[in-house]
Amino acid sequence: MMQTLLALALALLLLGTAGGISGAAPASGEPIRLGAISSLTGSFATFGSMERAGYALAVDDINTAGGINGRPLLIDLQDDTSNANTALTVAEQFIRSGVPLVLGAYSSSITKPLAVYMARQRVPLLNSNSADDSITKPGSDYVFRVGQNTDAYVKPLFALFKQLGGIKTIAILVSNNALGHSVENSLVTQAKDGDYQVVFDQAYDEGLTDFRPVLNRIRDIGADVLAMSSYEADAVALMRQIKEVNLNAKVFAGAGATGFAIPSFLKGGGEAVEYVITSAAWSPDVHYPRAHELFARLKAFMGGVEPSYHAIRSYAGATVAADALRRATTLTPEGIRETLLATRLTTPFGTVEFKDFNGFHNQNPLPSILMQVQRNKYVTVWPPDVAVGKVIYPTPVWTARK
Amino acid sequence: MVQFVQIVVNGVFTGGVYAIIGIGLSLIFGVMRIVNFAHGVFLVVGMFTTLFFFERLHVDPFLVIPLVMVVGGLLGVVLERFLLEPIARAPEHASILMTVGIGLVLSNVLLFAFGDAPQIINTRYSTSTWHLGPITFSTALTIAFVLTVVVIGGLALILERTDLGRSVRAAAQNADAAELQGINTRRVRSLVFGIGFALAALAGALLLPQLFAHPSIGPTYTLKAFVVTVLGGMGNVAGAIGGGLLLGVTESLGAAYVSSSYRDAFGLAAFLLVLLLRPAGLFGRSRT
Amino acid sequence: MRQTPPSGSHPATRPRIGAGTSSLTGALVLLALLAFYPAAFPSFMTLGVTIVLFAAMATAWDVLGGWTGQLSLGHAVFVGIGAYAMALLVLRNGAAPWWGAMVGVGASVAVAAMWGGVTFRLRGPYFALASIAVAEMTRIVANNWARLTGGAEGISLPGLPRFLGLDLFSRQVEFYMALVLLSLALVVAWWLQRSRFGYHLQAIREDEDAAMALGINPTRDKVWAFLASAALTSLGGSLYGIFLGFFEPRGMFSLDLSVQLALMAYIGGAGTLFGPLIGAGLLVGGSEVLRIYFPGKSLFVYGVLIILVVLFAPDGLSTAVRRARRA
Repeated sequence: MMQTLLALALALLLLGTAGGISGAAPASGEPIRLGAISSLTGSFATFGSMERAGYALAVDDINTAGGINGRPLLIDLQDDTSNANTALTVAEQFIRSGVPLVLGAYSSSITKPLAVYMARQRVPLLNSNSADDSITKPGSDYVFRVGQNTDAYVKPLFALFKQLGGIKTIAILVSNNALGHSVENSLVTQAKDGDYQVVFDQAYDEGLTDFRPVLNRIRDIGADVLAMSSYEADAVALMRQIKEVNLNAKVFAGAGATGFAIPSFLKGGGEAVEYVITSAAWSPDVHYPRAHELFARLKAFMGGVEPSYHAIRSYAGATVAADALRRATTLTPEGIRETLLATRLTTPFGTVEFKDFNGFHNQNPLPSILMQVQRNKYVTVWPPDVAVGKVIYPTPVWTARK
Repeated sequence: MVQFVQIVVNGVFTGGVYAIIGIGLSLIFGVMRIVNFAHGVFLVVGMFTTLFFFERLHVDPFLVIPLVMVVGGLLGVVLERFLLEPIARAPEHASILMTVGIGLVLSNVLLFAFGDAPQIINTRYSTSTWHLGPITFSTALTIAFVLTVVVIGGLALILERTDLGRSVRAAAQNADAAELQGINTRRVRSLVFGIGFALAALAGALLLPQLFAHPSIGPTYTLKAFVVTVLGGMGNVAGAIGGGLLLGVTESLGAAYVSSSYRDAFGLAAFLLVLLLRPAGLFGRSRT
Repeated sequence: MRQTPPSGSHPATRPRIGAGTSSLTGALVLLALLAFYPAAFPSFMTLGVTIVLFAAMATAWDVLGGWTGQLSLGHAVFVGIGAYAMALLVLRNGAAPWWGAMVGVGASVAVAAMWGGVTFRLRGPYFALASIAVAEMTRIVANNWARLTGGAEGISLPGLPRFLGLDLFSRQVEFYMALVLLSLALVVAWWLQRSRFGYHLQAIREDEDAAMALGINPTRDKVWAFLASAALTSLGGSLYGIFLGFFEPRGMFSLDLSVQLALMAYIGGAGTLFGPLIGAGLLVGGSEVLRIYFPGKSLFVYGVLIILVVLFAPDGLSTAVRRARRA
């Protein structure tokens, strides 16, 4: 008798798992269509391809696991050619064709007019990768952001400083754009709160090829921490020149993520970027569920190119959208907006929920993580519950290295 | 004081590269009266060509330079033959539009061919330095400067001593008179555009080891090229050297000592003043 | 030997498009047709507003560029001033956007008067370079003067008062406002074709010294053209600001925007009545078509098209078509 029951149970179990990851049958039937806007061509194309990978894999996973209550999810991804007008045209067509939610865009300069338009049309916009604080501060009832705001990149650094001890002075060097100034403000505020002294604070202009003059001055002033935010690709040039002018610090911090957290930083930087601590939205070795696996699959999807955290955030965005769709009683913009508000989801990117705090509205309060470059690899060192390695502190002086 | 000298030295070295960019643009304007809006993109083509040879053939970027210049020169000649020569007599705006179109096409070709991630190369000397007393020199930047001097010297020799150079100078002074003298101005134009492209490509090759390559960074360098040529005087090759050095040094000093974010605006205001008060450039003689 | 340029390639020898009632009729018919666009293409209103608005601004640009021959690559300055003036007065003073637009016009005209008066003695490419510098300087100031302009982060327009009961954020309303602006710009262009002032401008463009010998004051006339051009562009900028709902210095004072306006005028035919409008339709409508049918390659094809048009129709398409028709 027991044996029969056991066999039956085993058979049922096998039948269940044969259907897919979660045991459900793959989605079938009339697809549910969402719109997505990203920069697949033009100056932001690097990130557009990351977002596309994230969306594609997310849709695959969602549909394999049964889709939206049995129906497949379809994300219609359109190119805004890195142009705000095009994004608006695309959004108009999405809305007129009855799409209940739009994902996107990448650049804040495109997301912001898009957000204004979608809020007026009362259709929710779910953003994963735009950086400007003003997208969700004050934001709107119809705009939701999965990605972190600027403070979230800077606060963990100060938490780390406190734990490390021995840090009194900070030098700040930021890019002369919205993100740079946002990071700068955040750094200055945090420094004041924590009784640190800001000994140098300057912005540099885009297109500057020679940082040595500024770096020489910082070296002569001397600081425990050099906190930087760069334009996309000059983080490597910065670090190289820091090495050249023999500027030492206990911590080199990439406070604005971006340039310091993309794969080309490691590849191009070589020994010059060792020991740099950078805040990032996410890291491949972080201990969130299924994070490593997702990273490997994204890398395969992109033909061996290492995905940046933008791909992971888009994946999370699509997953959140699917979750909201599943819980919605009506697949209308209003209905989905309400279920989005109630989101509380754990993804390989981290937890996602939409909260109001410090003037932010519908913002995911997830803090960033901190990674340190150790042996030419990113190692997650903060926060302690997802860290994989220990911080190497203080940073060895250049002449003592290798 | 040492710091000041250090900053100026850095500025001079960077200025050398800017001068190369400016000379190419100045030559093109002087001989062809074309304001080349694609000049920055030519520089980026040079960067990617260097990158290509560096990654495929594993040859040091500085050694690849002659090859990169030849490729640039050929491209320039071809572009001139097929796209600029036909509109040589068209109103001036046509050449501006054409170069804008060329810039767009070239940067998109680069995007297809090399992808959209910034490309950074790592060489043995990427971060090495050498010292002269208390002054530190970046090895890569020094090599770039030395090469700049060599190339400019070579160019000056060609322009002064060879028949070819004389034809170019004649065409720059007065194209019709040059034709009357039997100079084939068509050929001179192709050549000059080729040289201009080659020089821009050279600048790209010199900058690549220190910076990064990306298909969209052309316009930044086009603007720098414009500033250099205006400071030096449009069509004034020697002036472009002065203009480049001036730009390099002021950029260095500005970055080090001026903490205002209006830095660039001051620079542009100065640029405007030069344009208005001394259109022949700071180093030029008045020419009608 | 220098060849004489083929007739019709020089703006002065270019036949004016029926400098009489026929072009007026043509314009009225065109505008009437456009008035039906919202009913015909309700899903493409964003595109429609963009085309009509840019057509108006390109026509405004042409009043300076095509008619006086001074190639401005900094016209985005006026677009930005119009947008910021409108937005700042709405946000700081609670004023209705048309007051801000008027202030924008005033500021733009002042800038044009100063700038033009000083730089008009620069010929050809020097003027273009100076215009680029002016626009860049304005962008940097707007980027850094955060207390006035909101800095690099830009400005958002959360709400606007109703105009005669109309919702200014409705694409339909914006379309008709753009159409009114386009009509205004076309009227100015048409007037230039028929008036003595327009004749003066042509004379100046062809040979400034000869014009002076005729008793024409080139600088004064060019400045007037510049003022008109700046005022119209500024109005376009104010409307553009409403249309976008959010803008920042990088987008509003950008070289790209200035180049686009010049491109539209030249590709359609500078110095002609409908040239800039045709150019705007082709470039904006064309990029959208390219984006849909050549995904991933649209910018490349766009560049190729510019090259082809310049090669085969260096005076603009409307002129080329006219010449083909007469041939």
